[in-house]
This record gives sequence, structure tokens and C-alpha cells, in this order.
Amino acid sequence: MQKKSMTIKRLCSSLLFLALLVLVWQAVYSLGTGPLGWWKPYALPSPLGVVRSLGKMAGNGTLLQASACSLRRVLIGFAISLVIGTALGLLVSSSGYFNRNLKPLLNGIQSLPSVCWVPFAILWFGLGEASILFVIVIGSTFSVSLAIENAIRTVPPIYVKAAQTMGAGKLSLYGRVIWPAALPGVLAGLKQSWSFAWRALMSGEVMSAYVGLGYTLMSGRDMADINQVTAVMLVIILVGVLVDKLVFSNLEKHALKKRGLSS
Amino acid sequence: MALEIKNISRTFEGSKKETLRDISLTIEKGEFVCIVGPSGCGKSTLLNLIAGLDTPTGGEICLDGRKISGPGADRVVMFQEHALFPWLNVLENVKFGMKMMKLSEKEQNSRAEHYLKLVKLWEFKNYRIHEISGGMRQRTALARALCLDGPVLLMDEPFSALDKQTTNKLRADLERIWEETGKTIVFVTHSVEEAVFLANRIVVLSDNPGCIKDVFQVDLPRPRHNDAVEFLEVRHKILTCVEREVEKFAKEEYDH
Repeated sequence: MQKKSMTIKRLCSSLLFLALLVLVWQAVYSLGTGPLGWWKPYALPSPLGVVRSLGKMAGNGTLLQASACSLRRVLIGFAISLVIGTALGLLVSSSGYFNRNLKPLLNGIQSLPSVCWVPFAILWFGLGEASILFVIVIGSTFSVSLAIENAIRTVPPIYVKAAQTMGAGKLSLYGRVIWPAALPGVLAGLKQSWSFAWRALMSGEVMSAYVGLGYTLMSGRDMADINQVTAVMLVIILVGVLVDKLVFSNLEKHALKKRGLSS
Repeated sequence: MALEIKNISRTFEGSKKETLRDISLTIEKGEFVCIVGPSGCGKSTLLNLIAGLDTPTGGEICLDGRKISGPGADRVVMFQEHALFPWLNVLENVKFGMKMMKLSEKEQNSRAEHYLKLVKLWEFKNYRIHEISGGMRQRTALARALCLDGPVLLMDEPFSALDKQTTNKLRADLERIWEETGKTIVFVTHSVEEAVFLANRIVVLSDNPGCIKDVFQVDLPRPRHNDAVEFLEVRHKILTCVEREVEKFAKEEYDH
């Protein structure tokens, strides 16, 4: 009971903070576009305008369609990244040669913003689905491989030694010891890879999509509707955070709890 | 003739001094041998070499005439930290090695039950590792090692992280299990008292380079009592030998 009332208290104070933030935003809008004249009314979104825009897009189905389409893309792209990234991660962590030579390259490519790949994507795959997938995959694969490599590298060596003295072969060692030992670290790393995939999706959609959140954002720009742009930005944040919290945080928490690593 | 250590030496890269130099020792089948010596003298290195987790720079180790070339279930190691897997429960941990040996599920279950009852943990078989105490973890690790029923058991200060009462209890358990199973046990410890309590033979290593300084046969009747006069005499004799080693080491440090 104590704990529950604490959570409610925290939640209330967070909501209050948000409400205050919106209030300040409205005040800045009203003053800045009105008596002070700092901005033209079309250059600054207002809370009310954003809500109206959200309502309109939700009402005519744009929002749902765009979100579903974006999510579908990112899921396919992230799934491909998981496969390629895991293979690369295992390669880099199982061989000293690749660890010395390939890992620095992966680190380097990883630091490249995914939008830099858009020209390649368009040249190789044209304007369409394939090029967006390409940007997602290239934007998150290396992060996945580094997450896997890092998680495997930090597995306590004593687990491996213990398993070896009990006669574990290379395959059992990876499947039954290294993988379960690395899992919490992998999940923590994948959280970051997910955010890379989500950002890469936006880079791709902004450039070459006909439907999706990124496209809806750009169409807002084209119609000079700053409220729509802001509304879509909010939805992008919301979806990104929701997946992070609902999927990755829960999986990670579960894995840690099973191992007695969290309270 | 079970375990033959022939002129083993081990030098680590980047260090000029030899960690182990010219160690030769034959351990008979069913013997309980304790290795003692000042910290850093290479006791654990020697055990790792026997386990096959490390390779000697010179010499070789043979088990029943076959040269040891890597780790294997015939020489299970029990480590100072329990090294149990936190994603498995007590029973699954105990069954891990038997799974590696591809024993039938029935055999796995019956052995697991037998050894978990032996270490008095059968009631805790569904507990996770973080839910049981340090002493129970080491007992789980002991059951896991015994289940494989290998001829040799290697123990690297397995009780040193536990409190005195738990340690005494586990020593007595281990002595009983050794008498029942007739395994060859090589037991590394820094505690001379522990060695005198458990061993048939005590090997004292000297430091820098690590080589065998002396070997003591311990023929005290079992169960041994650490307040008996004979016990104290043996303990004193070995302690003097080890302490001279520690003093020598300290003097060298000072002179440099």
C-alpha cells in the first residue's frame, strides 16, 4: 500500500510538471505571436493547434495508418538487423583476428548518422520501400553487433571455465553458457539499437516515402502546417518511448530478475 | 598411479620470473592431497594446469598415462567462487555437467537427487542461486562436481569465502564424501589447519619461483580433531615450514 501511494504521488507530480510545461508553451505562443510579435503565427506551434491537428489526423485515420506503416517497416528492418548484427557480433567476439581488425571499423561506421546512407539507398534501391529498409538496416545493424560483442566480452570468465571443466564443447558453451550469461547485456544494448533503427526509419521516410510518420511530417512541412509537424513529432517520440518501455525494459527487467540482479 | 606431474614449469608472458619451476609430483588414486604455500606462489596456477585450463611452458601432466591437453569432466574443478549459473536453479545447475555428458534424463535425475540429498539441499532444488546462502551455493557446486563421478576432483580454496562454522561443516562433509567415493582430490588452500584436517599428503610450495619445498605425509586417524595434541604437532611443523617461506619472501621484498 505504501509503495502504491508513493507511485501515485510520483505520477501526479510528473503530470503536474507536464501541465506546467504546456502552460508555459501556451504563454510563449500567445505572447510571442501576439503583443511581442517575435514570431509569425504560422512559424510557432501552439498546444491547442497541435491537439486539434492530432484530433484531425486521428479522426481521418492518417495517424493510425502512418504509425502502423512505420512500425511495420521498422520491425522488418530491425529483424533483418538482428540477424545480420548477431552474426557479425558473434564473428567479432569469437575470433581474435576479426576482433582486432573488424571491430574498430564497426565502431567507426556506427558513429555515422544514418541519414548519410540515404544517397546510397536512393541510388541502389530507388525511391521506395527497399531504400527505406536499407537505411534502417544499415542504421542499426552495427549497433546490434556491437551490443552482442560487448555483452559477450563482459561474461564472467569463471562461467566459461566451470563449463569447460564439466566437459562443455564449443557449441554448448555458446548456447548454454555464454548466451544466457550475456542476455541481460544484449537486451540493454538492443535498446539502443532499437532507437537507432527508429531514427534511421525517420531519415528514410522523410526522403522517400509515400506513407508513414516521416512522410506525414514532411507533408505537414509542405503545407506549412507547423502544428501537424509538431503533432507527428510527438507521435514519433511516443511510439519510440513506448516500444522501449513496453518491450525492451520489460524483457531486460525479467532477465535481470531471474538472475537475482535486480531488487 | 593416477596423476603424474612431470617437471612442470609455467612462465607468464611479460614477467621475467617463473611462476612455477620444475614441479614433479605423483598423486596416487584415491589420495587426498593439499597444496599450501604463501599467497601468489602459484598454487592456483598449478591447479589450473592440472585442470587443463592453462598450458605449461615446460613439462607435462598425465592422468592414467594420458597427457592432459585441455579441460575435461574427468577433472572437475570447484572454484573459490561458486561459479554456479544464475539463470538456472539449483537442480538445473547440478544437472548441467551431466547434460554435457549426454546422460539419460533418468540417470541425470537420479544422480542429482542422490548428491543433492548428500549435501542436504534436496529441499532447495527449485531455488535460484541468489536465493540461497554462500554455504549452500558451495554445497551446490560440490554436488554439481560430484554428479559427474570423475576420478579426480580439483578444488581451489573452495571454502575460503565462507564463515568458520560453515567451513567446518563443509570440511567434515567433504571428508565423509571422499571416504565414501574414493576419489582423488587435489585441494588448494592457504589454511594449514584445513590442510592438516583433510589431507593424506601436504605439498608446501615455495614462492618466487614456485617450486615444491617439502612434502608431508599426514597419517593422523580420522575424523581428526583440531585440538588434539598430534594434530597441533603436525600443524606446527607445517606452519613453520610455510612461515619460513613467507619470511623469506618478505625479506626479499625489503631488500629490493
